Amino acid sequence: MRCIGFLVNPFAGMGGAVGLKGTDGLLQEAKKRGAVPLAPVRAVAALRLLRDSGIHFLTCSGSMGEDEMKEAGITAYSVEYKAPEMTGADDTRNACRIFLRHAVDAIVFCGGDGTARDVYDIVGTHVSVLGIPAGVKMYSGVFAITPAAAAEILNTAGEVGVRDAEVVDVDEEAYRHGLLRTTLYGYARTPYIPERVASSKQVFEQPDEERAKAEIAEFIAEVIDGTPEVLTILGPGTTTAKIAQVLGIKKTLLGFDAIRGRELVAADLNEGGILALINDEKKWRLIISIIGSQGFVLGRGTQQVSADIIRKTGIKNIIIVATPYKLSHTPVLYIDTGDPALNASFGHHIQVISGYRIAQRKRLFQPDE
Amino acid sequence: MQTKILLDEEQMPKKWYNIQADLPTPLDPPLHPQTKKPIGPDDLAAIFPMELIKQEVTTQRSIDIPADVQDVLRLWRPSPLYRAHRLEKHLKTPAKIYYKWEGVSPAGSHKPNTSVPQAYYNMKQGVERLATETGAGQWGSALAFATMLYGLKCTIYMVRSSYTQKPYRKSMMQVWGAECIPSPSTTTKSGQAMLAKDPETPGSLGMAISEAVEDAASHSNTNYALGSVLNHVCLHQTVMGLEAREQLAMVDDYPDVVIGCVGGGSNFAGISFPFAGDKLTGKHKDTDIIGVEPASCPTLTKGLYTYDLADEAGYTPLLKMFTLGHDFVPPSIHAGGLRYHGDSPIVSRLVHDGVMRGISYHQSEVFDAAETFSRTEGIIVAPETSHAVKGAIDEALKCKESGEKKTILFNCSGHGNFDMSAYDAYYAGTLVDYEYPDELIRQSIARIPNVP
Repeated sequence: MRCIGFLVNPFAGMGGAVGLKGTDGLLQEAKKRGAVPLAPVRAVAALRLLRDSGIHFLTCSGSMGEDEMKEAGITAYSVEYKAPEMTGADDTRNACRIFLRHAVDAIVFCGGDGTARDVYDIVGTHVSVLGIPAGVKMYSGVFAITPAAAAEILNTAGEVGVRDAEVVDVDEEAYRHGLLRTTLYGYARTPYIPERVASSKQVFEQPDEERAKAEIAEFIAEVIDGTPEVLTILGPGTTTAKIAQVLGIKKTLLGFDAIRGRELVAADLNEGGILALINDEKKWRLIISIIGSQGFVLGRGTQQVSADIIRKTGIKNIIIVATPYKLSHTPVLYIDTGDPALNASFGHHIQVISGYRIAQRKRLFQPDE
Repeated sequence: MQTKILLDEEQMPKKWYNIQADLPTPLDPPLHPQTKKPIGPDDLAAIFPMELIKQEVTTQRSIDIPADVQDVLRLWRPSPLYRAHRLEKHLKTPAKIYYKWEGVSPAGSHKPNTSVPQAYYNMKQGVERLATETGAGQWGSALAFATMLYGLKCTIYMVRSSYTQKPYRKSMMQVWGAECIPSPSTTTKSGQAMLAKDPETPGSLGMAISEAVEDAASHSNTNYALGSVLNHVCLHQTVMGLEAREQLAMVDDYPDVVIGCVGGGSNFAGISFPFAGDKLTGKHKDTDIIGVEPASCPTLTKGLYTYDLADEAGYTPLLKMFTLGHDFVPPSIHAGGLRYHGDSPIVSRLVHDGVMRGISYHQSEVFDAAETFSRTEGIIVAPETSHAVKGAIDEALKCKESGEKKTILFNCSGHGNFDMSAYDAYYAGTLVDYEYPDELIRQSIARIPNVP
C-alpha cells in the first residue's frame, strides 16, 4: 500500500481574494477584509477523487488535514502531527519531518508558493512532492494544474514518472507593488504523468525527463568538446547541471558557473563576476534553461545575467535548453532583460535545444503582439 | 474552365525515363561499406533481382515498362492532373497552379508506381518473399498491395513511432496479406542491438532499413525492396512526371516551377526528372525545380554532400548524397515519410549541381497550407504532401507580389485519410516545430555526418 503524507495550509490563498497578493505575514489583515479559507475546499476536491485510491494517508489534525479527510469521506488515514489552532510555516515543516520519519512514498500539500518552499526546506529531494494549487501565487513547478489533476496523478500509480520542478521564491512585498521578482529556491522532485504515445496525440521525442536531459547533455557536451577554446557559462537548473555532469564537472545547482572544455573556471558567479570574466575573453557562450512554470528564459531567476551581459554576449551565443515535457507545458516563452529594445531584438521565435541534435522553434512573447 | 486534365489509358507511358542518360558526368558509384571500393552487381545480387540491379546502373535513356506491370498500373493510371482554380482564386494569384494527384492509387499515394514493378521483377526471378521498411506506412502498404498481386510473401519493418501513430496503415498491410513488425524489433540482430542501446527508441527509417536488409540477406528465399532513394525507384516514379508533361502539353502549358516533397527523394524525382532532363538537354533551361523538406530533417538544405551509409547499422553501400549522418535520428514529426537522414544520390547530385534546389518548412506552417488546400480543393493531403502544397502556395504568393503569371506544378503525392491524428494535433495546438540545430552541430566534436 502506498503511504502518502498529506497536509493543508488552511490559510493559503486567503490574501488573493481580498487583493493582498499573498498571505505571508498578512493573515490577520486578510481575515479582517473578510477572506475565507480556500485551501480546505481545494484539498477536499482532490481527496474526494482519492477515496478508492488504496492510499494510506498520514496527516495532521484539524484543518491541516484531518478535517478535509473526514469531509471527503476518506477513512484510510492516521493523524501523525497535532497542529495548533493557528498554524504557520513551522507546522508545515514539522509535519514534513514526521512524514519523512515514517518513510512516506510522497508528500502532497495543498497551498501556494510559500507552502511549497516550507515543504522543500525539509523534504529537499528525499521524496517526491506534489502541490494541490490553492495559493495566491503558484510559480513553482510542483503544482498540478487543478485539484482533479493532482488526484489523477495520485490515482495513476505505477505509470507516473518523477521530474525536477523548480521551487521559486516570490518577493511578496515587490509583488504587491506590481513587480514580479522571483528567485530560484531549489529543485524538488514531483510526480507527473508522461505524455504517452497515443494515436490522437503528437508523440514526443522523449517522454522521460531524465532521458531527455541526458540526451540534451550529451549533445551540448559534444559542442563544448568540439570548441575547447570557448568559455561556456552554464546557468542554473538540473538540465545544465546534467551537462556539467556529462563533462565530469560539479556544478552549483542554482548558480552560474563558467567552464572551458572539461575544466571548471569559476563557480556561482554574480553579474560582476561574469562581466569580469568575459572582459578577457574572445569567445564565450551562455547556456540557460527555462526557469519557473511560466516559461521565462531570462529575467526571472537569472538576475545574474544583466542586459549588459546579454548585449556583450550576443543573442547568437545564447543557447537555450529545455526538455520536451517542459516545452510542452510552456507554449510561449518570455524574456525580460529589463531593456525593451533588447527584448525585442530576440524576435518572435527562439530555438531551444530539446534533445540530441534536436531543437524546437518556440514562440517568444513580444509586447507588440 | 477545365479542372481535370486526363490522359486515356493507352496514353499511359510505356517507358520510364532514365535521367542518368542526360547527366553531364556519371554518378559517383556506390561503395562497399567494408572495402570502400565501388560495388558490382554481385554485391547486390543477394538482396535485389538482376533486372533492378541493371536499372540501378544503366545509362539507357528509356526503359520499357513490362506489359504485366502496365496492366496493374492501369488500375489507377494515368492519374489526373488538376488545375487548382479554387486555390488560385483564394490566393488571388496570377500564377497557374497544377497538381498531379497520386492519391488515386489503391494504397493512396505514389508508392505503388515502384512497388508493382519491384514485386514483378522479384516474382520473375523466383523470389518468394520480400522484406522492406516503412516510415509512415505509405511504402509498406504499397508493397503489401504489390506482393499480394504477384503471390509473394511480404514482411514490413515499420518505424515504431509510426506503428503506434498510424494503426490503420498496418491494418491495410494486413488486408493485403503482409506481416508488419514495429522496428527496431527483436527478430533481427541489428534490431536487438538497437534495442539494447536504447529500449525506448522511437525508431527511424535508417534502423528499419537495417532490419529489412538483414532479413533479406539472411534468408535465401527473400529479397529486399526499398521504397525510395535508389536509382531504380526514382526511375519507376518518372511515370508521374512523364504523364504530367503530356497533360500540360494538352493545355499548351509547361511549368516554370516544379515542386515535390523530399524524404528519400523518389516522389520528387518522379515528378521532376522529366523536366530536369529537359533542363539538362537545353530544351527548357529555366525551370525552377524545388524539393521541399521538413526543417526538422533538412537534408538538402543543411546536410553535407558526401559518401554516407543509407542505413543505421551499416549493411547498405555507401552512397554519395546529401546527408545529416546515418546515425541521426530525426524527431518524430507527423510527416514520417520525410524522416530520412540521406537523399537519393541522383536528386543530391542535381541539387549539388544547381539543377534543382531544396527549401525547408516547419511542421505547423505546412499544416496551415494543407488546411488552405483542403478548404479550397477539397483534398486532405498526407502530412508529407503538405510540404509540397506549402511550397506551391508560397511560389504562387510570390507571383501575387511580382505580378508574374508563372505556371506551377506540384506533386500531390498522397491523401491524408489515415493521418487524421496529425490534423487533430494541429487543431489541438500541440504540433511541435522541430529544428535541426546546424550551427551547434557544426561546432560539436562529432562534426557530423559521421562518414565511415
